[in-house]
Amino acid sequence: MTPTTTRTIRERVASDAVAAADPALIEARGIGKRYGAVRALDDVTVAIRRGEILGLLGENGAGKTTLMNVLGGMTAPDAGAVLIEGRPVRIGTPRDALRLGIGTVYQHFALVPTLTVLENARLGVGGPLARTPGAVERRLAEVGRQLGMDVPPGAVVGHLSLGQRQRVEIARALVRGARVLLLDEPTSALSPPEVDGLMATLRELRARGVAVVLITHKLGEALRLCDRVVVLRQGRVAGDLDADILDGDSTVAERRVVDLMFGGSGVAAPPPTSGVPADARAALAVRGLVVRGDGGDAAIRGLDLAVRAGEVFGIAGVDGNGQTELADAIAGQRAPSAGTIAVDGVEIAGRGVGAAATAGVGYVTGDRIGEGSVAAASVAENLALKEVGSGGEGSRFWLDRRGMERRARAAIERFAIRAPGPATPIGRLSGGNVQKVLLARELARVPPLLVCHQPTHGLDARTARDVLTALRAHADGGRAVLVISSELDDLLAIADRIGVLVDGRLAATVARVDVDADAIGRLMVGGHVSAPDRRPA
Amino acid sequence: MTDLPVADFLSALLGSGLLLAVPLLLAALGEAFAERAGLLNLGIEGMMLGGAFAGFAVALETGRIAAGVAAGAALGVALGSGFGLLTIWLRVDQVLTGLAITILGSGLTGFLYRDLYGGQNRPLPTTAARLDLPVLTDVPVVGRALFGQPLLVYLAWAAVPIAALVLGRTRFGLAVRAVGEAPFAADAAGIGVAQTRFAAILIGGAAAGLGGAFLAVVDVRTFTDNMTLGQGFLALALTMLGRWRPWRILAGALLFGMLRSLETGLPILGMDVRPEFVGMLPYLGLLAALVVLARRAAMPAALGVPYERGRR
Repeated sequence: MTPTTTRTIRERVASDAVAAADPALIEARGIGKRYGAVRALDDVTVAIRRGEILGLLGENGAGKTTLMNVLGGMTAPDAGAVLIEGRPVRIGTPRDALRLGIGTVYQHFALVPTLTVLENARLGVGGPLARTPGAVERRLAEVGRQLGMDVPPGAVVGHLSLGQRQRVEIARALVRGARVLLLDEPTSALSPPEVDGLMATLRELRARGVAVVLITHKLGEALRLCDRVVVLRQGRVAGDLDADILDGDSTVAERRVVDLMFGGSGVAAPPPTSGVPADARAALAVRGLVVRGDGGDAAIRGLDLAVRAGEVFGIAGVDGNGQTELADAIAGQRAPSAGTIAVDGVEIAGRGVGAAATAGVGYVTGDRIGEGSVAAASVAENLALKEVGSGGEGSRFWLDRRGMERRARAAIERFAIRAPGPATPIGRLSGGNVQKVLLARELARVPPLLVCHQPTHGLDARTARDVLTALRAHADGGRAVLVISSELDDLLAIADRIGVLVDGRLAATVARVDVDADAIGRLMVGGHVSAPDRRPA
Repeated sequence: MTDLPVADFLSALLGSGLLLAVPLLLAALGEAFAERAGLLNLGIEGMMLGGAFAGFAVALETGRIAAGVAAGAALGVALGSGFGLLTIWLRVDQVLTGLAITILGSGLTGFLYRDLYGGQNRPLPTTAARLDLPVLTDVPVVGRALFGQPLLVYLAWAAVPIAALVLGRTRFGLAVRAVGEAPFAADAAGIGVAQTRFAAILIGGAAAGLGGAFLAVVDVRTFTDNMTLGQGFLALALTMLGRWRPWRILAGALLFGMLRSLETGLPILGMDVRPEFVGMLPYLGLLAALVVLARRAAMPAALGVPYERGRR
């Protein structure tokens, strides 16, 4: 998977020729944007040519999304200008951006879930496309053919898989005549085969002369796909890597990008694991577990699992194979329809959150914002949230405000949470910092079993490492940790054993020492290729 | 009165039921637009009362029913634009704004009525024009009820397919549904979220004002304090019961109208029931229907949620 093998010489020559004939299709020049005291963007200049895929890399908060929002008309910059084919343009609203041929595919998508694909494509369409009856429908079919899209125009978007929704978004942008396509973290919701499909689509668009901007924090993908990479750090352009470096040795290119992203400090690998004796006490024993998903079908179908004290057990798998249901069942948030869940010998299946917590389960949800935190409440209040229902120390009536603040300060310091203070509403923090707060909340209770779903989703490399290190340390202290993640690299870094979850069962369980990443990858997708996407709409 | 011919009785029952359903139908149709666009208008009651009073006053002064009806709709538009300005652009809480309009509408119309007209019962001298189709009105039972109603009744009925068509088949309707479900997606697609919502609340206001004016000018032909009897809130329930779809809303409104016509119908039959109990029936009926039918109603996802670009 080195960049040279995935990009043919012919493609490179073709895009070079286009580039020479036609310099910048769109240029952001000297863009500045501040939010209060934070400089999200500071004098950023980036130019994108026709038929070029530009990777925009950077850790969380580096300004990637802000820059995209400026180009897409969602955010008005404080300084600088946007030029299209050398002429300055005003992009005050998303409508302006669309009219200028700038299409955006947002990370969490901008489709109306209750409407059909065609209705979504019609949304906000103006000009000749709107005046001609059936024009949108014909264009959509045409674009669909070009991209090899498999989604019927009458399908309701809420029933589509995330991969399909993304293809709808891309098709819709092209229907509206996008010459520039901005994609924010497009691979974060996709399975490996879908990622390959997306890459093929983007290469096709490049061949048609579309300028593609790919925002990502996944290095490997950027290096495989992009003609050029711009790295942002703390709102400034930290560096620019062109084809000569990208097409060279991939480890060299990778190191260069990491250096630029983190200012040369690099990212150290998490500490190695200590072996767990095979006869260690089972902290979690799950037998014959059956759990229904939101749709009513069984999402976990007869799962057996044992996690030993002192061990990190990783559950790998493509999203939608029962991960959420498994985590919910162990955390007591979802009653299984069959099977047993014993934590340190105490049966908790179907007994609710309180019973699970009492038995020693700590749970960090994969849904940080919706389920894990109350956005408007402060960091201190969110840290105390799980004690409100189940006692804790002190008065049963009054909140122990001083103690809450003290504990919040300790958590902020211990986990290097970037927050102005304990009183800051958690909704103002970045995803990575919210995750650290949630983790701190669980670790403070020192649970004998910690369940963590998607611990590093959307986190930059450094924060991800901090989180993984904390999980590993928890296990090394003699507790059990169950990590459910679609990021195989995370599991390979910290897990003692890895189970592959396919269609609600563990397809295989392997010790990390004799793990074969490719084999796990194949297992992950093997049981899923033909299965319908079971993610709730 | 027990020797009243059954056919005549049924005809009267049906006719008054259809008439009584109109204000509720109009208000709920308008609210369907507002809610589809993401605006929860708790001010319908106040807008209806405002429309009722304005309609009554203008009809009394000009002697023209049509002028009164137009005045009621105009006041509804004015109140709707007030609601829109406050909630969409100034981001005042929708619930608070709506309740304020309702309280204001109730208090102010009562005060003005007493102040201007001495609080005495002042019936309108004129009656609204009726459709009177010669042959059809002679059809037993349903003839007069269906073909001899005031013209505005037919306008209200016509509003049902029109509303369904606009919501389902037009670009504006699509925009309304989009801003109520996913305003961010609508914005990203180049739809003016604020403008679309504002247009929807103007429709809602106009419809509520029209409903109120109908009640005062066409049906009762006078104004009394709080004469809407909570129909504004009933319209809110009906909108949800009808799942924001005009035809279902029509069905609910007709059910309500029929139950209300029993209020006068049952005593005529000589049935010995307390009028308070019969008066409660339409509300009970709608409540029961809500419990049974609206439990699984999927509200517009962004109902009551203000939208600000760049803040999700």
